[in-house]
Amino acid sequence: MKTEARFDLPQGTLDLLIMRVVTLGPIHGYAIAQRIQQMSREALQVQQGSLYPALHRLEYKKFLAARWQPTETGREAKFYELTARGRTYLKAETENWKRLTDVVGLVLKGTVEGVL
Amino acid sequence: MSWIERLFSRTRLEIDLDKELRFHFESQVADKVRSGIPESESRRLTRLEFGGLEQIKEDCRERRGTLWLESIVHDVRYAVRLLLRSPGFTITCVLILAIGVGATTAIFSLVNAVLLRPLPFAQPDRLIWVSQQDHSLPGVAPESLSYPDYFDWRAQNHTLEGIASYVNGTATMELQGQSQRLQAESVSSNLFRVLGVAPALGRDFSWEDEKPGNRVVMLSYAFWQSQFAADPAIAGKAITMDGHTYTVAGVMPKAFEFPIGNPAPVLWKSIAEDAEGKSPTTQERGFDVLGVIARLRPGVTVEQAKADLSLIAAKLAGQYPDNNKQYTSALVEPELTHMIGDTRPALRMLFGAVSMVLLLVCANVAGLLLARGSRRGAEFALRSAIGASRAAIIRQLLLESLLLSFCGGAAGIALAFGLIPVMLKLMPVEIPRVEHASIDGGVLIFVLVVSIVTGLLFGAFPAWRLSRTAPASALRESGRSMSGGRAQHRLHNGLVVTQTAIGMVLLIGAGLLMRSFVRILDVQPGFDPRHVVTTRIAVPFEGATHNQHYLFYQQLVERIAALPGVQSASAGWPLPMSSSSATVNFNIQGRPVAKGDEPSESLGLAMPGFFETMKIPLIAGRPFGAQDGLTGQPTIIVNQAFAKKYFPNQNPIGQHIQVRAGDDIFEHPVREVVGVVGDIKHKGLTTDFDPQYYLPYAQALITNPDVVVRTNEDPVAMQTAIGAAARDLDKRVPVYRASTLEEYLYQSAAQPRFQAFLLSCFAVIALVLAAIGLYGLLSYMVVQRTLEIGLRMALGAQRVDVLRMIAQRGLMLSLVGVGVGIAVSAVLTRLISGMLFEVRPTDPVIYAGTAALLLVVSVAASSAPALRAARLDPMQTLREQ
Repeated sequence: MKTEARFDLPQGTLDLLIMRVVTLGPIHGYAIAQRIQQMSREALQVQQGSLYPALHRLEYKKFLAARWQPTETGREAKFYELTARGRTYLKAETENWKRLTDVVGLVLKGTVEGVL
Repeated sequence: MSWIERLFSRTRLEIDLDKELRFHFESQVADKVRSGIPESESRRLTRLEFGGLEQIKEDCRERRGTLWLESIVHDVRYAVRLLLRSPGFTITCVLILAIGVGATTAIFSLVNAVLLRPLPFAQPDRLIWVSQQDHSLPGVAPESLSYPDYFDWRAQNHTLEGIASYVNGTATMELQGQSQRLQAESVSSNLFRVLGVAPALGRDFSWEDEKPGNRVVMLSYAFWQSQFAADPAIAGKAITMDGHTYTVAGVMPKAFEFPIGNPAPVLWKSIAEDAEGKSPTTQERGFDVLGVIARLRPGVTVEQAKADLSLIAAKLAGQYPDNNKQYTSALVEPELTHMIGDTRPALRMLFGAVSMVLLLVCANVAGLLLARGSRRGAEFALRSAIGASRAAIIRQLLLESLLLSFCGGAAGIALAFGLIPVMLKLMPVEIPRVEHASIDGGVLIFVLVVSIVTGLLFGAFPAWRLSRTAPASALRESGRSMSGGRAQHRLHNGLVVTQTAIGMVLLIGAGLLMRSFVRILDVQPGFDPRHVVTTRIAVPFEGATHNQHYLFYQQLVERIAALPGVQSASAGWPLPMSSSSATVNFNIQGRPVAKGDEPSESLGLAMPGFFETMKIPLIAGRPFGAQDGLTGQPTIIVNQAFAKKYFPNQNPIGQHIQVRAGDDIFEHPVREVVGVVGDIKHKGLTTDFDPQYYLPYAQALITNPDVVVRTNEDPVAMQTAIGAAARDLDKRVPVYRASTLEEYLYQSAAQPRFQAFLLSCFAVIALVLAAIGLYGLLSYMVVQRTLEIGLRMALGAQRVDVLRMIAQRGLMLSLVGVGVGIAVSAVLTRLISGMLFEVRPTDPVIYAGTAALLLVVSVAASSAPALRAARLDPMQTLREQ
């Protein structure tokens, strides 16, 4: 069993992570979970219970498009792709995120130095 | 994909979702196996990591936004199952609702056909009815136009696109070997253009067709089909009517009807024939008989047209004082408004009454739901304990009531289908367009709206009430028959009081109309209508001298009088209640007035023996006899009202009156009053006795008289015998409108009879439903209070006390309902005061009688539950609870 520290993802960030992974090309749900785990160096483990509702919501909002196609093992899997709308949304949200983390970082840094 | 598509493709989505998650699962297992864990162990671990598969699926569905819809589908399914589980309750509710919705729908379909549907002409809102105001009479007194007036209005107006005249008449035509009397309308040549309807076949009338010698006719579709075998080459062919040749211009479309109402004309004649002869009616300014319809120019208002036409009328009044002095302004109304004018209050009353029935139905079903709902307390408590919100419970309950009301609505439509023909059969014929009443799209939308509104109305109170049950207490109590608390009782009591009050209002309304109707039937008409057979014969005026014409009737009456079983026979015109009448100017010798200021009263024509046959009493002088013939002294007989009005302190006998009737025939002879006869009700039983004078028919051959025969023989056999006698004298004459005086009288009371009958039906329904409502509440109360009653009896209460306790409650509620009903009736019945004849809207007899009836019924409704309570075995009750 893995013992590394895990994070509770802030609201909305899972969508960002999913879309980021999907930009790399058509990919099915299981691979998305694996990819997020890998890219976060095992720090983030996405539960199926959060992943699939998120995927379905993004598909419903038309940020993602899905189609069924065979994997390398020959089984049918549902592959997700970013739509044009999703791409725009991801771009805007990524910038927002960066600005937010910068600002939060700035404030936290100040607090740490000033108070402690 | 829209939500509705998604709902239908739900199964595919479900399969996909399952496949997607299964793929994930299998991939995860495969990875574990690859890392060296045995397959069974891999599966177990993966299943652990996955958690609740169903939960994930539910979350995915929710994210897709179809959840609410699916849960409604689920709720509906649940509601259906629930209603099917208690079929007795469901059938009762649906039947009660069906009565309410069915009656409302049937009445609405009448309202829709008569009041709401637009006229079947092009741009009907621009069509107006046009007339002139008679300023010598008080209030609105429309007077028809004469041809010269009409032509002037047509030429001089600036606000109308077109203005057309029409006047009803008849034509005699040889059809299938027999002379037939046909309804034929004489119309100006632009009528069809004004209405915006083109002939289906042939050509429209043209201005040329108004000129003398150009007699043309337009056939109705039905007449063309039945009498001309739908001959496609009919246009341009010649037909013979009244001994003249007419050219067929064309055939109107199938649905075309004008004027709308009974009897519908089968053909339309151009006014060419009215323009012929030595003194044509088209040149008589005093011949005020035309109906006029006009089409407004686009953008012109009714008021503007009225102002425009009034100017013309005022000018004509100045120009022709002899005929037009009192007609100084025009009367203009939208055509539809004019057509349905009189029928509106009656229809409004019926619709109001039927709405009350519907309201009562709602209160009744609400009571049933409430009683049943409180038995379901445990169910709601359980639902809310496991997390159902109050909104969810209300939604569930409203869905159930909507489902009920839709079933009731569907059954109501079926009922209305059956009711409409019955109502039309009972309906007095005078209501225009009513025969077209049917269940059309508009009516169906009405039913849908009514169903939704009633469903929400009778469902809302119980739902709001029941959803407030506190889970803990309800669950605790649910083992026993649980009581819904004071507030619920109050609501239930309120529903019963409402029903009683509505029942009271409807019963009072029905009672008033009934009493009024009985009063109408009690009216003495001034003649004896029993055993009098009547018929009309159309003897042509042209081609026969006055002598021959009169001789025909003389011989006919003699022959009929000789028939076995005939007591007396005569002829006269107009018959009372026949809706024919003529008002003609006269002057009294020794009281000179200008020609335009002459008084005018109703004119009657009578052959010798007419008053005797009708049993109109002779008050003074003598009746008409053989001496009042063509060449006899000009004579006149007046009625009592006439004598009182014009000769208040004089003996009318021997006075001299000059009547301007029969202008072509006589040089306005000065007539001597030879008799005074009793007054008769002429226009209807509820109207006043109007002044009237009679001329001997021989001296005023104005129109064919009605033959009247007093006999004890069977009316139909007698009518056949009269027809045979007439054809024996002249086989060309058509015999028509065979009837009896009683039938005329019956028809004249058709409207109040119909209103009283329908309102009584509603009142009976209301009474039964109110009784059911009260019975239901008390029965329910007994069930709820079984334990209490048992305890009371165990502690020494007598059965009589228990009986009294329940019965008292029933009587109390009814008393309150009756009180409220009386108060509401005192206000509402004022609205129908116009329909009442010699009955005040607050008639104490009706009010007291209705209250007594309702109280008796409610005592009866209370007795069964009260007795049931009194018969309870206290020991058994306590053991069971």
